[in-house]
Amino acid sequence: MNDMRIVERTVDTHDVKIDAKDVNVHYGTSHALKGVSVAIPDKTVTAFIGPSGCGKSTFLRCLNRMNDTIASCRVDGLIALDGEDIYDRRVDPVQLRAKVGMVFQKPNPFPKSIYDNVSYGPKIHGLTRNKAELDEIVESCLKKAALWNEVKDRLHSPGTGLSGGQQQRLCIARAIATSPEVLLMDEPCSALDPIATAQVEELIDELRSSFSVVIVTHSMQQAARVSQRTAFFHLGNLVEYGETGQIFTSPQDPRTESYISGRIG
Amino acid sequence: MSVLLLLAVMAAIGAAGYIFCRGRVMAQVGGNPRELHSLPGYYGWNGAIMATLPALAVMVVWLIAQPLILESRVVSHLPEATAAEPAARKLAMADIRRVASGLDLAVAGGAIPAQDVATISPGEVRARLGTVGVALGSDVTPETLAAAITWRDQARSGLIGRSVVVILVALAGLAYALMATKPDFRARNRVEKVVLGGLIAASTVAILTTVGIVASMLSESFEFFGMYPWTEFFFGVTWSPNFSGGSTFGFLPLLWGTLYITLVAMLVAVPLGLFAAIYLAEYASPRARSVIKPLIEVIAGIPTVVFGIFALITVGPFLRDWLAQPLGLGNSGSSVMTAGIVIGILNIPYISSLSDDIINAVPQSLRDGSFGLGATKSETVRQVVLPAALPGIVGAGLMATSRAIGETMIVVMGAGAAAKLSLNPFEAMTTMTVKIVGQLTGDTDFGSPETLVAFALGMTLFVITLCLNILALYVVRKYREQYE
Ligand SMILES: Nc1ncnc2c1ncn2[C@@H]1O[C@H](COP(=O)(O)OP(=O)(O)OP(=O)(O)O)[C@@H](O)[C@H]1O
Ligand SMILES: [Mg+2]
Repeated sequence: MNDMRIVERTVDTHDVKIDAKDVNVHYGTSHALKGVSVAIPDKTVTAFIGPSGCGKSTFLRCLNRMNDTIASCRVDGLIALDGEDIYDRRVDPVQLRAKVGMVFQKPNPFPKSIYDNVSYGPKIHGLTRNKAELDEIVESCLKKAALWNEVKDRLHSPGTGLSGGQQQRLCIARAIATSPEVLLMDEPCSALDPIATAQVEELIDELRSSFSVVIVTHSMQQAARVSQRTAFFHLGNLVEYGETGQIFTSPQDPRTESYISGRIG
Repeated sequence: MSVLLLLAVMAAIGAAGYIFCRGRVMAQVGGNPRELHSLPGYYGWNGAIMATLPALAVMVVWLIAQPLILESRVVSHLPEATAAEPAARKLAMADIRRVASGLDLAVAGGAIPAQDVATISPGEVRARLGTVGVALGSDVTPETLAAAITWRDQARSGLIGRSVVVILVALAGLAYALMATKPDFRARNRVEKVVLGGLIAASTVAILTTVGIVASMLSESFEFFGMYPWTEFFFGVTWSPNFSGGSTFGFLPLLWGTLYITLVAMLVAVPLGLFAAIYLAEYASPRARSVIKPLIEVIAGIPTVVFGIFALITVGPFLRDWLAQPLGLGNSGSSVMTAGIVIGILNIPYISSLSDDIINAVPQSLRDGSFGLGATKSETVRQVVLPAALPGIVGAGLMATSRAIGETMIVVMGAGAAAKLSLNPFEAMTTMTVKIVGQLTGDTDFGSPETLVAFALGMTLFVITLCLNILALYVVRKYREQYE
């Protein structure tokens, strides 16, 4: 009991980074997300779990307004980043996405060299003053994404020539190179081997010290290992959201219980 | 039996082949297709192919060979002198054919009873044929008539022979297919081999046509270079053909005119077409797109001669009055600028349409990746979409370039027909294609250098566009290697 309270207090000391209230998403006439309210704290890793098609990616894409690019998609409700409504008319979605970076479910490196892939964001946002600084960012991001050793000799060969798992790590490096405040990761490890997965998990843990990470995953173990908070989605509803430990050990909702035990057991 | 009827008979035999072979193999396995190597339909198709394909080949060979054989048979009727001289022989043969087909018509129309054909007198042939609408230029000589009668007889027996042989081959093919039809016969592989052959044949046709065109132009070009030194052709700077002799064929003014006009055209077409494509593919709403795209493509449907009129009466005078004269660059309505701009406009829809398709083919996930990093739409287009689409866009540009190089009508009406070497874009110049037309129209004698130079120009044009295409391939491949 005591333990529980301590953990809760450490979480409470962090500010809420993203506050979503009663978010509904429609794709045309289909209702994909139904009244989801989540408060994502700063400097934590939040995991979204749930069966396929339950709306995890959809909700993730709401957080950086990537759904704007889908013509049929309509988002209602309130999503605030640092207390400011991100769907407000004054907010520039482009600037928002620079602050809320994203790694996609499928690796999508640009048809450019590895170096250019990673330096894309810093160049666009003018984060560096000279080539040396850019080189440094590229190197450190590739190292954080556990890719440096594999590509350091061929930084100028095409990123599309890497293997699927290497491409995904390249996309992670590319996303962290813009130094976002929030990083959204949609199943970042689904194409990775256990070693690379461990490295990425280590990276996620490291990133937590400077910003908040939201990760969608199908692996219960991964959610348990890397996240402090977990949200369980089912058929477009947010069923349960809370401490990762509590979700996995004593879920309140029978649906959460059966999903977790079904997967783990 | 006419060719059409024969084809119908072959089709019927083919259909029978399908049904018999399929039925036979199904009977052999007692109606259980699992015991077959291939699906029952493949055995049927094998039967149909074996029945029709060899027969078709025989028919084609026969169609080509029969006139040649007939010609060699009737040539004995002709006087020695005519038979020995190729040109005279060709003319005589044409006469014989005309008389023979006239006799056929006359018999069919009832003007000459069939049994009288062999005994008809040369004097009355012309009048008799006139009654069925076959007009002959002169009276028919006895030799021609005799030859025509032989031709007709032989052609008729040839016709019967053709039908018999073709049908026999078809039936033999059918029988062979039926014998080969067994459950473990690899009908699927056989049918697919035939399909493969068809695909190869289709691509060969295109290649052979190119080879044929090049070969015919090569021989004429060599003839030209036999009469006119090639150094003076390729390095000469004056073009003044003179049909009464003493011509100089300096090719450089034409090359310059061609390249200059094409350059202007591409400077107009590539940016406008590409920007239109980017707007359509990336920015336009579906509704705007559904209106604008067809409107742009309307341009492609306008005949080039109409564009020529536009160049002649609108663009030319406008450029002359508002640019050339105020700037003191001349006072000619026909100019490189006029033709280049109009050809450029003509090419906008090609570039925009092709580029639009290519840009649309760039996966959405790449755009998402760029947006997800906080890039704006235009940064995404410039740095991700266009580089990914570049090989296709280069291809579209080169296609348009080839079209611009080959354009003739607009050049005649917009830039004139004077071969000139000048840097001033407001001066009248002309291109190779215009001069090819010019040298081949009117009174042409295919032995004089004035006419043959057209083939040398055509050959050179072909080589230029070929080099352009090779360059395009090289660029595209180099780019691909870098990014794939
Ligand atoms: N672009 C779209 N257009 C229409 N419907 C969509 C679109 N994207 C997602 N959907 C629908 O929204 C629902 C939620 O999809 P979403 O991609 O969020 O699922 P997910 O939880 O990420 O699943 P997975 O674990 O398989 O990735 C699904 O029913 C899907 O069919
Ligand atoms: Mg998903």
